[in-house]
Amino acid sequence: MFKKIIWPLIVTSASILSILFLYGFIASITVSRGEEEPVSSEDQTEPVQEFTDELPVAEVSDILVMGDSLGAGVGDEENRGFGERYRDLLTEADGEERTLANMSVPGYEAPQLLEQIESGEFDSAIASTELIIISIGGNDLNRLQIEDELTISLEFEETLSTYIGNLEASIEAVRALNPEAQLALIGLYNPYRQENPELSRFLMEWNFETQLLASGDDRITHIPTYELFQYHLDDYLSFDQFHPNGAGYQAIAEALDRILN
Amino acid sequence: MIALIRNEIQKILLKKKMLLILFLLLIFVTLFSYGQNYAYERTIEQFEAETSETAFDWRVPAGQRLDDLERRRSNESIPDEVRASFDREIQQLNYFIDNDINPITPTAFKFNAEFAEQGIVLFIPLLVVILAADLVSGEFSKKTIKILLTRAVPRWKILLSKYLALLMMTTILVFIVAVLSTLVSFLFFRELGASEPVVTGFSVFEGQLVSDSTVLVSRLQYSVFIYSLVWFVSIIIASITLLISVTVDSSSSAIGILMASLIGGQFLQFFLAEWELVQYFFVTNLDLTRYLTGSYQPVEGMSLTFSILTLAVWGGLSLIFSFIIFNRKDVLV
Amino acid sequence: MASSVLKVSNLTKRIKKTQIIHDVSFDIKEGEILGFLGPNGSGKTTTLRMVVGLIRPTSGDIQICGHALKEEYINAMSNVGCIIEGPDLYGYMSGYKNLELLGSMSKDVTKKDIDEAVSLVGMENRIHDKVDVYSMGMKQRIGLAQALIHKPRLLILDEPTNGLDPQGIHEFREIVKKLAEEKGISVLISSHLISEVQLMCDRVSIINKGRIIKNASIEDMLSTGEVIWTLDDPGKGQRILEETFEITSTIDQRGLSANLDISRLPDINKAFFDAGLRISLVDNKKQTLEDLFLSLTHEEKI
Repeated sequence: MFKKIIWPLIVTSASILSILFLYGFIASITVSRGEEEPVSSEDQTEPVQEFTDELPVAEVSDILVMGDSLGAGVGDEENRGFGERYRDLLTEADGEERTLANMSVPGYEAPQLLEQIESGEFDSAIASTELIIISIGGNDLNRLQIEDELTISLEFEETLSTYIGNLEASIEAVRALNPEAQLALIGLYNPYRQENPELSRFLMEWNFETQLLASGDDRITHIPTYELFQYHLDDYLSFDQFHPNGAGYQAIAEALDRILN
Repeated sequence: MIALIRNEIQKILLKKKMLLILFLLLIFVTLFSYGQNYAYERTIEQFEAETSETAFDWRVPAGQRLDDLERRRSNESIPDEVRASFDREIQQLNYFIDNDINPITPTAFKFNAEFAEQGIVLFIPLLVVILAADLVSGEFSKKTIKILLTRAVPRWKILLSKYLALLMMTTILVFIVAVLSTLVSFLFFRELGASEPVVTGFSVFEGQLVSDSTVLVSRLQYSVFIYSLVWFVSIIIASITLLISVTVDSSSSAIGILMASLIGGQFLQFFLAEWELVQYFFVTNLDLTRYLTGSYQPVEGMSLTFSILTLAVWGGLSLIFSFIIFNRKDVLV
Repeated sequence: MASSVLKVSNLTKRIKKTQIIHDVSFDIKEGEILGFLGPNGSGKTTTLRMVVGLIRPTSGDIQICGHALKEEYINAMSNVGCIIEGPDLYGYMSGYKNLELLGSMSKDVTKKDIDEAVSLVGMENRIHDKVDVYSMGMKQRIGLAQALIHKPRLLILDEPTNGLDPQGIHEFREIVKKLAEEKGISVLISSHLISEVQLMCDRVSIINKGRIIKNASIEDMLSTGEVIWTLDDPGKGQRILEETFEITSTIDQRGLSANLDISRLPDINKAFFDAGLRISLVDNKKQTLEDLFLSLTHEEKI
């Protein structure tokens, strides 16, 4: 029994499987080649993927939106985002048509925004616009993972200072190109339903630091969204429970309208 | 030599280790697939309750995403490789929409890959340890090593035959894990999903996920990738287990040592992620499948190639030491 | 002269700093049964394990049928069958499976060889049962069978009768004796049981504290060289011994006694006979192996 059936069966199946696995092994190495430093955490099954791509940019526009997925309008059923919604609010008020450019890239963090600005590709767009709306920082903060209190605090401080440094440099770079334009910095809101005092503290500190940065220049405005979203998560969050939905974007646009004009 | 390997396979089979392993697997696979099915149903229910919509329709966000992607890819100023990555995602979404498959529906092939991804660091190595720990130490504790080593066969051949038999059984074990997890979860989900497309080959560059190099493969192909990595990991674990089994004289201490290093290694990785040396420990490098899904972050500076090389070095050194120790060992039992 | 089947020369073993075997040498001729006698912990087992390659000697040389164990391991070991401290078999297999498995490790072991070995140890009836359910005696028989399947010329048995009942010991002894007589197999057997060695072996090596302290045939070892004659005229006998053979002797109530080389005994007896002495009894006084063993090993504590 063993010699006649089981043994030949084991030998054949083991050899065939070994060849198959060897092939698969080599194939998976080939597939994942080109990687350098794995750090980020992103799963392909998550509803929203992040891409490093460049969006169309009108050469000359009245309003320029920069930053991350919020700037791009991810989650908005009508795909308008706060940029278009704000523009429409303005048009409604005075009947004047304005042009809008959006160079937001989902997944961007503050250092990448700085890179984008410094790349020079968008110099003319930045120089010619009247209003620049920047949404950045959400991904920087979200990358932190709460493991234990001591290290998270340290990591938070580090992330925050990197963010502020990059944002400051970004603003300087923008100002060098366009000293006149109005700048608006979109604040962060808390998309999580659970009460987490630690996270709330972080968000407040984060927004406070951003606000502090904005207060140094009276043509820079901080647009707070924390309170806006705080009790309206059900109404304002999209299907992915992270990005705003149309109503959420509308609320941000209205806040922009209220504060800027 | 072939007779020796056959003998060793026979010993492994007669010890009924495989039955124990199959039993453990069956329990875990059943529990997990039941749990996943339950969680899926809960998610749908919860969503329906929250949105108070009549039925959850996944097509809304999927269609929205598809429009967005198509709008972007039609722009001429974007680089070709970015467009290619859009194309893959569009293809994937189209497949789901055309075939009327909800992307979050659990399927048997999705489950087997997930089971392997979860099990690759602890559960599957543990099964290999159960299989391999008493390979040599069992002969010592039962004293049968004396009749084995007083034959006219050099010691290295005996160890080699044991190792090859172990490799064969490990290979079959990995296959059994794949088959069992597919079959059992199919009973729960009633959905095979073997030809469903999946995006893989993410790479991370300067802390940012890059999907330029991603490719679209079928679920079946993806599972082959995943299980090939599991296979590699299992072989390394088998080699390390062989070393421990040769070094200690009792099976239970062999299992103990290996379990401690597997579990302890996880802790090490968790608490001392900053410590550079941790990345050279074999347990830290077991999670190879993470590199395929693009969600990896143990210690900075690690990549699939790095992990595979590190593991290969561990396996190779274990083998060399196993043979040296076994060849020189005085049998005192 | 028969060639040496096993030749051990100047064997030493050191574990860490302790030397446990000191310069042990001995050899075994074809068909000879050599007993290795020594108290527990004397180094018997270590020596035997070195002979079968389970322990590496620190220095020294082992030759089996002319093949050096170190250089020609396979040739040397294919001539050896052994049981080292009890018959340890794979308990989860049948006795037959065990033999089949071990037989496949040697060249040219056929099914017939296995069957022969099984019938030699008388295990035909229970051979397909699992070893776990065997009695100690049955295990010992299978143990002996596994040592014989590849037709070795040298059988090495380390404490083979440990744990056997008297019946089992007797049967085992008979099988081993038969093997040596009929098949010319040489046997090296170690034991701490004196009676066993005395009953089975042609020659004995007494080992203590890792040294061989006496190595001789059973006859030579037990003989003290003292011969006692019961004669009708002891005084005449004494004179003949003195004058003809230059041997001093004493007369006491046992008779005439003298220490001499046993090989001269026939000549002496003939001289007594020729001189008209009537010999009613000649006794070569022997000590027991036990006495000898104790006198050789008792002095120092372990």
